[in-house]
Amino acid sequence: MALLSTEEIIKEYDGIRALDRISLKVEKGSIKGLIGPNGAGKSTLFHLISGVEKPDSGKIYFKGKEIRFLEPHERSALGIGRTFQTLQVWGNMTVVENIMAGMNRRLKGGYLSCGLRFPWIRKSENEVLKEAKEILDSLGLLGKWESLASQLPYGKQKLLELGRALAMKPELLLLDEPASGLTLAEIEQLSQHITKVRQEGVTVFIVEHHMGMVMEIADEIAVLHNGELIAEGRPEAVRMNPRVIEAYLTRRGGK
Amino acid sequence: MIVWENMSSQTAKAPQTRFRKRDLFYLMPLWLISLIAPDPYLYHKKEFKKKELFYLAAICFAPLIWSDSHFHHLMVLAGIYAILALGLSLFMGYAGQISLGHAAFFGIGAYTTAILTTRYAVPTFLAFWASALSAALIAHLIGRPILKLKGYFLALATLGFGEIFLVIVRESTSLTGGVIGIFGIPWFSVMGFSFDTYLKQYYLAWGMVTGLFIFSKNLVRSKVGRALLAVGASEDAASSVGINVSKTKLEIFDLGAAFAGWAGSLFACIMSTASPEAFSLGFTILIVMMVILGGMGNLYGPIAGAILLTWLMDILSKYQEYSLPVYSVILILLLIFFPDGVGTRLNVRIIYLIGYWAKKKKRDKGKL
Repeated sequence: MALLSTEEIIKEYDGIRALDRISLKVEKGSIKGLIGPNGAGKSTLFHLISGVEKPDSGKIYFKGKEIRFLEPHERSALGIGRTFQTLQVWGNMTVVENIMAGMNRRLKGGYLSCGLRFPWIRKSENEVLKEAKEILDSLGLLGKWESLASQLPYGKQKLLELGRALAMKPELLLLDEPASGLTLAEIEQLSQHITKVRQEGVTVFIVEHHMGMVMEIADEIAVLHNGELIAEGRPEAVRMNPRVIEAYLTRRGGK
Repeated sequence: MIVWENMSSQTAKAPQTRFRKRDLFYLMPLWLISLIAPDPYLYHKKEFKKKELFYLAAICFAPLIWSDSHFHHLMVLAGIYAILALGLSLFMGYAGQISLGHAAFFGIGAYTTAILTTRYAVPTFLAFWASALSAALIAHLIGRPILKLKGYFLALATLGFGEIFLVIVRESTSLTGGVIGIFGIPWFSVMGFSFDTYLKQYYLAWGMVTGLFIFSKNLVRSKVGRALLAVGASEDAASSVGINVSKTKLEIFDLGAAFAGWAGSLFACIMSTASPEAFSLGFTILIVMMVILGGMGNLYGPIAGAILLTWLMDILSKYQEYSLPVYSVILILLLIFFPDGVGTRLNVRIIYLIGYWAKKKKRDKGKL
């Protein structure tokens, strides 16, 4: 059974149909790419899956459970992690705190125990700090663990966002244009991290404009165009699909 | 605090040429500060502890050095405002929300204590806890609908709540004494020990500030603080890692109200009155000013802001009709020259000021 599946999702903004009956599946342990020209509805689909927005109709299943009516934080508690198209790193926190905040869900303790800093809180904080440093080490950010996140260069902030999503130990990782604004070397590094994440058993669903990267790492690719799913399948097959070529070569809505 | 006060008195006088024993007094804090100089955003524990020990020592010894009852009273008030500003700072500076109704929670705390102690002869210590509880309870009830709003709308809604509170207090004469208020609230006392002098009250207020500061500091450095900062910076990102945004906001609103309730209870005991004038819109703005002037997203900020504004208001009250314009001009200047707040990187600033003062002294010496 697929880890994530959507059934006939429809989303409209003021009568304009952004997504038209989208049904797709993401298999467990795979990397699925989602591509399409600007305005095709890729980000909208991600917002619907992560719960930032609600679909007008249709169903979303995660691990066989209908999650359409859950709040975003409840969905992430189920194991859906995500990064954002526009960078959403918390610049007012240090780098390590960004990662540690990603682990908040797994930590116990309320206001009283945290405020009085009971021994078990101290212990769990130390454990979390250690674990966060390990994550930073694997991303190559350990050298700057104490500096403010806003002081990192853009590419590192993108990596940090990925690290934060990984810190919550998701089963499904939604990456919204992780390579946008990165240099070629950074993209190379990023795709290595993503394949490594997959080897650890995390399913990755990725929206990307950078064709080379998606074609290289994805097992399967879905193509959206004007809110419709026009092709789905293995990268080589999608690349040769005439409808995909047409969508990318002609202007949106024009002939 | 020590350094500031002395400097102002020193610079006012003619330049001193002779080295006096008193000058050693300045060297001690300078040395202490030099230990803690590399301030910025370190996650290390030792750095924090040294800095805090210095401020704690300053708080302990300040009233013994200035054994002036006016100064003590002023600092008691500053301490109460600091508690209030600390709670608001968690809500404003960390969770990134805004509340213009915080004076109402202060008022709820004060009136709860006033009514319980004068009407029902409840011991002040119990009334003290009841005040925080009632303030937090009301905050929880109104917070549920109100905290769904954001930005200006939240500011207006909390402002409305503050005004509603004032109207209720003024009109329900039988319960709150109306415009006149309630008199004769007993001194704060714990197990028969009564805080009846300004000096005792000073240690009571600042002891509480210290306790709540440590509590807040622990909170900020734990999971809760990270959730608060995350919500303040980006709610979407916060919920994407499983932080319940609305719950986080509501809980910190409650905690801020509980702080305000405690402060209000203390205020009522120390002033021995509770009247609606004390909790008006002007007071709300004052607290918000303390948080903003002191520096947001920083726990030293609200305390520095509270001391600064209380002290400023006291000095300016001598100039009667000119006090308000001068006060506003000073506020504007502070906002222009300290956009991050006075309390942000406070120790670095103090070092700078001491350095400036020492250089000036040297220069004067050379001239003479």
